[in-house]
Amino acid sequence: MTLIWTTRPWFWIVVLAAVALVLPLVVSNPFAVDIFIRVLLFAFIGVAWNLMGGYAKQLSLGHAAYFGLGAYTSTILLIRFGISPWIGIIAGGVVAMLASLPIGALCFRLRGPYFAIATIATAQVLMLLFLKFRDFAWGAEGTTLPNLGDAPLMMQFDSKAAYYYLALALLALGLAITYRIERSWMGFYLVAVGEDEDAAEAVGVDTTKIKRHIYLISAFLTALGGTFYIQYIYFIDPNTAFSFNISVEAALVSIVGGIGTLWGPVVGTILLEATSALLQSWFGSGHGGVQLTVYSLILVSVILWRPSGLVGVFSDLYRRFTYAGAARSKEVPLDG
Amino acid sequence: MLATLAQAVVNGLLIGGIYALVSIGVTLIFGVVKIVNFAQGEFVMIGMYISFFLASTFGVDPLLSLLISMPSLFAIGVLLQHFLIRRVLALGDMPQIFLTFALSLLLMNIALLLFTANYRTVQTPYSELTFHIGPVYFAVAKLIAFAIAMLLSALLYLFLHGTDLGKAMRAAAQNREVAMLMGINPDRVFCVAVGVALALAGAAGSLLMPFYPAYPLVGQIFVLMAFVAVVLGTLGNITGALIASLMMGVAESLGVQFVGADSGLIVVFVMLLLTLAFRPNGLFGGWAR
Repeated sequence: MTLIWTTRPWFWIVVLAAVALVLPLVVSNPFAVDIFIRVLLFAFIGVAWNLMGGYAKQLSLGHAAYFGLGAYTSTILLIRFGISPWIGIIAGGVVAMLASLPIGALCFRLRGPYFAIATIATAQVLMLLFLKFRDFAWGAEGTTLPNLGDAPLMMQFDSKAAYYYLALALLALGLAITYRIERSWMGFYLVAVGEDEDAAEAVGVDTTKIKRHIYLISAFLTALGGTFYIQYIYFIDPNTAFSFNISVEAALVSIVGGIGTLWGPVVGTILLEATSALLQSWFGSGHGGVQLTVYSLILVSVILWRPSGLVGVFSDLYRRFTYAGAARSKEVPLDG
Repeated sequence: MLATLAQAVVNGLLIGGIYALVSIGVTLIFGVVKIVNFAQGEFVMIGMYISFFLASTFGVDPLLSLLISMPSLFAIGVLLQHFLIRRVLALGDMPQIFLTFALSLLLMNIALLLFTANYRTVQTPYSELTFHIGPVYFAVAKLIAFAIAMLLSALLYLFLHGTDLGKAMRAAAQNREVAMLMGINPDRVFCVAVGVALALAGAAGSLLMPFYPAYPLVGQIFVLMAFVAVVLGTLGNITGALIASLMMGVAESLGVQFVGADSGLIVVFVMLLLTLAFRPNGLFGGWAR
């Protein structure tokens, strides 16, 4: 017999939050904390991607553009003007939003796969441009960030736990925004656009406007992740900041977890990063191909057998686990 | 100056012939099956490795290995369509895009595991051979590749217009339902379309081998070019893709010549973005007539 409060979603969210908060206090192994930070960061980027790719089904493969713009904006402000990354992170978000307007205006002319290709091109153009900007953006060599020791005001910390909590805060922010949007008119419009753009237009949804708005939010959040990542690894170059792998990972974690769901990107990231950590401990980090081979096999399997993502599998299990009696669980429609 | 310009145009056209084989494949699959094959570049890579291993183990000339790479890739294409693509045709954009995208990642990384990231080259008697007409030099290997690429494109055109199967393919591209009512078996037509497209990619790989190194990520550059050419040449339009590919080759080569060695790709992407801004439907209309 299950206790009644275990059937309430908020109960599990509180448990999850509590676990997330105490985790770095219990686990002190820096390798493990590093993995947790990666999970939080990529889950956050996945959440940002998911707003656009999942709800509005605008399948971008160029989110590295915003990740890189955020990273470069805060780094240039920090090194050239001595401005704290706390201001830089917001500035980076604003720069990314501004960039999303012309990029969106171009790319939204295309649909489906050609939208994806156009977004790849925009991210690549930005990377190539930053490779050329030797004067103020250090060109291909990149630059290391000045190490200021423990300087919380400059977003630099001695303890990995501080970075962990910062990434956790970003993820919480992303999830809260998604939660709010899901339950607003904007959420319904987005789903309408995602289901059938022409039909949405026909019933009076301004699809261009709604896509532009969600792209602004998605770009802003992705840029925050970019600044955080560079502050965490202390190094920036175009191949890191505009890496195609960032764009791929953002989409991949959402798809594996379940696009257009609140928790999909989180579930997807935990699964993929856990796999990646296991592979590294088995094979060492020398074998470049192993990780992406396994990622792509997971992706193919999910697409062929569970295109709605794995979060559905977990919510099915959750229902079977919490609702007493199998008969009742059969009446509950599966959510997609 | 004029000689430099002419040289850049010739170089661009010659490599544009290879781009054409890749982009014709992409546009053929898009036209008939309505899927964008993100993995098309990886099939070029497979074609290259087939030719490389035939050359290094049995001393087979890369051009002769066309006779093996094309049928092998045709078979892979039929299997790909039958076992993978067919299963996502009824689903939305996401599975359709990410299935071939995942396949691209998979093939690249398997190649990385099997063959390592080393560059592999094949030396043929004509690899270094050149001749010149006036001040303009022609590399023999590239010229042969270009000529065979154009020949294959012409054969495809004849196949699509002169044979029943080719006509069935065009019919299925125009309207799948009506084609089925006319007794065309779409599954079979789709398998042939994907097979032919992959055979062209394999041909591109073999033709590249005498003058281009094979490595696991080599397909990326060709597939990006092909995507731009396919958008520029209007989705699903084979003649459009051919002309656009040649234009792209020239644009890239001019970019390298006059803007800087690393600017070829920038020129190509800027072309794509300008096309999207001003002619989002591409330069040519509709499916090839």
